[in-house]
Amino acid sequence: MVIEIFPKLVNLLASLALGTAFLLIARRNLRGQVRLFAAQSFFVSILAGVIAVFASSAELFAVALGLALLKVFIIPAILNRAVSRIGLQRSVAPYLGTPAALLVCGVLVATAFYVMAPITASNPLPTADAVPIAFSGVLIGAFITVIRRRALTQILGFLMLENGIFLLALLVTYGVPFIVEIGVFLDVLVAVLIMEVFIYRIKENFDSIEVGEMGRLKG
Amino acid sequence: MMLVTLLLIPALAAGSIALLRNRVLIEVIHALAALAALGVGMAVAITVWRDKTEIVGLDHLLRADALSVLMVTVVTLLGAISAMYGLGYIRVEFDASHFKQARIFFSLSQVFIFTMLLAVTTDNLGVMWVAIEATTLATVFLVNLHNTQNSLEAAYKYLILSSVGIALAFIGTVLMYYAGSVGSGEIAVNWTSLHAAASRLNPQVVRLAFVFILVGYGTKAGLAPMHTWLPDAHSEAPAPISALMSGVLLNVGLYALIRFKSVVDITLGPGYSSRLLTGIGLLSLGMAAAFLLSQRNYKRMLAYSSVEHMGIICLGLGFGGYWGVFGALLHVINHALSKSLLFMLSGSILVKYRTTDIRRVRGLLRASPLTGGAFLAGMLALVGLPPFGPFISEFIIFRAGIESNPSVAAIGVALLVVVFAGMLASVNQMLYGEPPDKLAHGEALKWSIAPLAVNFVLLITLGLTLPAPIAEALKQAIAVLGG
Repeated sequence: MVIEIFPKLVNLLASLALGTAFLLIARRNLRGQVRLFAAQSFFVSILAGVIAVFASSAELFAVALGLALLKVFIIPAILNRAVSRIGLQRSVAPYLGTPAALLVCGVLVATAFYVMAPITASNPLPTADAVPIAFSGVLIGAFITVIRRRALTQILGFLMLENGIFLLALLVTYGVPFIVEIGVFLDVLVAVLIMEVFIYRIKENFDSIEVGEMGRLKG
Repeated sequence: MMLVTLLLIPALAAGSIALLRNRVLIEVIHALAALAALGVGMAVAITVWRDKTEIVGLDHLLRADALSVLMVTVVTLLGAISAMYGLGYIRVEFDASHFKQARIFFSLSQVFIFTMLLAVTTDNLGVMWVAIEATTLATVFLVNLHNTQNSLEAAYKYLILSSVGIALAFIGTVLMYYAGSVGSGEIAVNWTSLHAAASRLNPQVVRLAFVFILVGYGTKAGLAPMHTWLPDAHSEAPAPISALMSGVLLNVGLYALIRFKSVVDITLGPGYSSRLLTGIGLLSLGMAAAFLLSQRNYKRMLAYSSVEHMGIICLGLGFGGYWGVFGALLHVINHALSKSLLFMLSGSILVKYRTTDIRRVRGLLRASPLTGGAFLAGMLALVGLPPFGPFISEFIIFRAGIESNPSVAAIGVALLVVVFAGMLASVNQMLYGEPPDKLAHGEALKWSIAPLAVNFVLLITLGLTLPAPIAEALKQAIAVLGG
């Protein structure tokens, strides 16, 4: 019974996580965008918890808790603080309109299934079917980083990409060794803190957090 | 124990500098830590080479073999030289009223050294990834140390592009880990175990993994077309940091690539990685040549030249065979020595002329004969003229290429000629002519450039002979990579 439900549950949670990435494409409100990231992190942590229980791994359970703490609470809090301090609530139009962007995301999902086919085919784990979904999340995260003009949304794209990679590692091998996971968490936290400082500096220097304003370095 | 000491030196130095308020004390700690790291680094290297062994530490988390210690030598040697130069440079650029920036510089420089040393002395490929990502985080504020609009743009671009790029390397690492753990039961994410199990890995998974590795670590190594952050970041950073980012950090990215390549070559045969590396190497060389032909900013010129040289090293790795890899590793050393030298001199030129515009730097040889002469000699070394080291290593690489892939080698040599013409034309503009009227005669940062004599001595030595210890060290490094 449990064995049958487990892969379905994994697929469902991974799809929910991917769904939040799609919503981020359409959403303009910055606080709403941060909430979407928190929601995605929540689904990913639950998924990690489910796999930890299934694989009865205490280590992985600790990682799931750490992930929830870091990405559902701490990082969204940092980003919300940034939103309050720069005093901008709405995000400007991206380089690509929402319908076109969603279309590209569809293509990215198809690509993900194609690229990850050898992994799904060779992997004996019950979670393997969801691997392309995780990789779609990676690609869409990278895509958001490229098409958005606001520094904050770019950072959210990067964080969703990170979530996708975490999910991928989780599904492919039930997570990487503990020490690596801790190191990655630390890197992500430091990266977000640095990015926050950059949001302020860009705002100060260019009087806007539109990355498009920058463009002097060429050639 | 030796490896732990090696890592503790920059870590403790970074921590204590961050807490101190006395500038002289901070400078002393910075200099002593750099020299101590060099001493311990050399001791580690000599032990490994002499006893033909490897050193492990912290329950096999740390491991230094002949390839690691080659990198340790490069990191600690250039770390020490740039630290000595940095003392004078930072005094001029960030005087007493900019104490905070100066302290950030010294502290983060040590963090930077720590992350690079960790990346090349860990056996765990996941920890290596964490350390290489940390190199970006350590340097991003250094790029933006002057807090101008340009440096802000450069640092932000660098942060985002490198982070996204290296995230892909993590996928590659996970896939390799998966390939290793499926074929042979429970194995750790260590390079040694992966290398030992390489012949049993699933070839399709490895094929896919290496593409991610190449794009990911290729971004950190500044290979085209993922190089776009590099000219900005390397030209906006303060000179001692540019020297380390161009001369050393790029090699750390390559080092990671080489580690994975050695595994991939056993699983798939050398053809697969060879094709990818020659392709990306040639593209980097071509892209750099295009931008070097009409470059107006001498720091950007040096940065694009790094893209070029990383391309040459990739070509060497791609041409393969004993001599291809030998030439590539030798070129790592030669490029590190010549590029760091030139970036430090570019700092002196910047202090003197207060511009990075080639057209506004005139009469360098007359205004500062020593700096100008050294800059000229360094440029001759960099473009691959004898009697300097890069000539020899490029010669070895392209000789290997003529045997294994003559058409690519021929295109490569043609592109080198383009680079040669473009760079020397730019340097000519800077060296001759009348210096601007209000420019005082004399050297900027006179004593600071004294340590650069070490670069020159080594470059000329490597250009005239191939000293037996270095040949032996490279031979051992290649043996480590073999099956």
